[in-house]
Amino acid sequence: MSFFAPGLEDAFRTAAAELGMCSASRLFVREAASDGPDAVAELSDRLGRPFPVLDAVAAAVLEGAPLRGVDPGEVLATLAGLRRLLVAGFEADFLDALVRALSGEVRVGLVRTAFLEGDWERIADNYAGRLELVEMAAFAGWAGPRSGLLTFLYGVEGAVTHVAPAWLRVAGDDVRPIFRELVGWDVLGRPMSLYPRWLTEVPAGSFTRLA
Amino acid sequence: MTFAAAATTAILAATVLLQAAWPARRLVLVASGAALSALVVSLSGVSTTGRLLAGVPWDVLVLLVGLGLVTEVLVASRLFGLLAVRVARATRAAPGLLAFVFVLGMYAVSGVVNNLTALMLLLPVVLILFRLMGVSQRYVTWTLATLLVACNLGGAATPIGDFPAILLLGRGAMEFTEYLVRAAPLTLAALTLLLAAVFGLARPARGLAATPLSARLTVATLSAFHRGVRLDRRALLSGLLPLAGMVAAWLLVPASTGVGPELICWIGAAAALLGAGRLGERLARTRVDVEATLFLLFLFVMVGAVGETGVFRDAARLLAALPLPPTAQVAVFLVSSALLTGVFSAGPSMAALLPVAEVLAADHPPEAIYVGLALSVCAGSSLFLTAATAGPLTQALVERASLRGEDGAPVDLGFFRFAPVGLLGFGVTLAVALVATLARL
Repeated sequence: MSFFAPGLEDAFRTAAAELGMCSASRLFVREAASDGPDAVAELSDRLGRPFPVLDAVAAAVLEGAPLRGVDPGEVLATLAGLRRLLVAGFEADFLDALVRALSGEVRVGLVRTAFLEGDWERIADNYAGRLELVEMAAFAGWAGPRSGLLTFLYGVEGAVTHVAPAWLRVAGDDVRPIFRELVGWDVLGRPMSLYPRWLTEVPAGSFTRLA
Repeated sequence: MTFAAAATTAILAATVLLQAAWPARRLVLVASGAALSALVVSLSGVSTTGRLLAGVPWDVLVLLVGLGLVTEVLVASRLFGLLAVRVARATRAAPGLLAFVFVLGMYAVSGVVNNLTALMLLLPVVLILFRLMGVSQRYVTWTLATLLVACNLGGAATPIGDFPAILLLGRGAMEFTEYLVRAAPLTLAALTLLLAAVFGLARPARGLAATPLSARLTVATLSAFHRGVRLDRRALLSGLLPLAGMVAAWLLVPASTGVGPELICWIGAAAALLGAGRLGERLARTRVDVEATLFLLFLFVMVGAVGETGVFRDAARLLAALPLPPTAQVAVFLVSSALLTGVFSAGPSMAALLPVAEVLAADHPPEAIYVGLALSVCAGSSLFLTAATAGPLTQALVERASLRGEDGAPVDLGFFRFAPVGLLGFGVTLAVALVATLARL
């Protein structure tokens, strides 16, 4: 007998649209794990191939590595001295932890791109006014010597890493000189073993800092 | 029938039909129809544009705009999203129970805010829940169609829930308490019958595969969507307190004071916007439903032009001349009203039928006629998916949600899928309207 109802893929896609691929995977794997490893294995069997981030998260749990809380300490260090932080791509678990840890003097913006199908207003409502939604046309206004641009990485393997397509919209060659830091935060912690559908490969060296 | 009477009636009928057939151009169509009607009555010497504009029930428009703005303040408080999370948790995302609670919620909410707003408040979160929990075509059809019928019933339950009742209140045909006391129990009776038929016999969730883990995932995901969302207490109080004050004033302030329902609403809306601070200013500038307001304004001009030619008096006389007992004449009027609404939608039908009802009310208990008319219009609004604006809006939102059934096939809510539930809602509501009205004659 199955642990899950038939519409599991649509459910995950809905969750990932508003929480981010990795945060949604963590949520699904955590709930499944409370029913035992067989539930996690079934989840991985059914959703692993279409969603390789979930496959990686489930694989880690099945290998015995528990899902831990998010520690933003390392990325905080890379952001020291910044007054404006613009984020491209979204991961709820990680941005929640980062915004909580950041000083109130740091302005935090989230670039509004067409890649995320979630409810943007609700996404911002979760941050009690700390997170500003920034239109693509206005993102250059966040640039400056004390500004940083951050995105989430899905595993680093040698010289390459994978990011949400939103990153490519903001991180062109003309953008590098106008932000002090281009920070990549590896939220997966391990390379994906399947073809990274939904994501884009970029050189790890295109970031000034990795965390 | 004079030329002016025939021409203005033809313009009204053609415009209403055209706007129903071509909703993307409906505002331009009614604006053109209103201009043409004014031209006909002016050139024929029946009336003037000034007189037509003076006859527009501005108080009704003030009520619509004012209530809309108070609703926007309430929406900004994020109350409804948080309530949906509570409901999902309390029902543990059990499909049948969830549908039942949402139908009840829709009835309650649409009694306080207009139907479109009620739908826009609840439907997005309902559709997210559908995507998270996994649904079947049958479940979506029965749940959403019942939700639409409940929305219409809730709108007719109070004098501020939907346009027909607001028109009765604004025109002074009925007082707030009088309408509430008579209409609310009847809509509640219709809702009870509907719920018994839908959840007792049809059972939308029948055959739907659900597992405890999927239900938990649904609740956990929806909770995660709202993990940091907090109730905006200032916005909530700014909306709720003036609304409570408005209801109290509508109940207690006698008409002899000269303070009418529209002035009470105006003051209440101003208080809500002032209380909300900068948010209030932003809402007043950006969230007035200009489309609905202009649509009704042009409609009133067209109906006023037809009224000036004496057509409604003639229609009422024709009705009175039918070789039927008076109670049967009223029954014919109510059934015709419901069917006309099914084709033309509530706004145009109510605006055109109220003058006829006013003539009938001279010979029968007025409150029975007016409440009967409001319920018949409510029944008609549920007959077809296209009978009320809420129907096509729901259809569009369902399409946009890209729902899939258990077999992977796309799930939708089209005209024919809605029809059985719509017919059930129509029959139940009209039966209650007929029984209650005829018993009062």
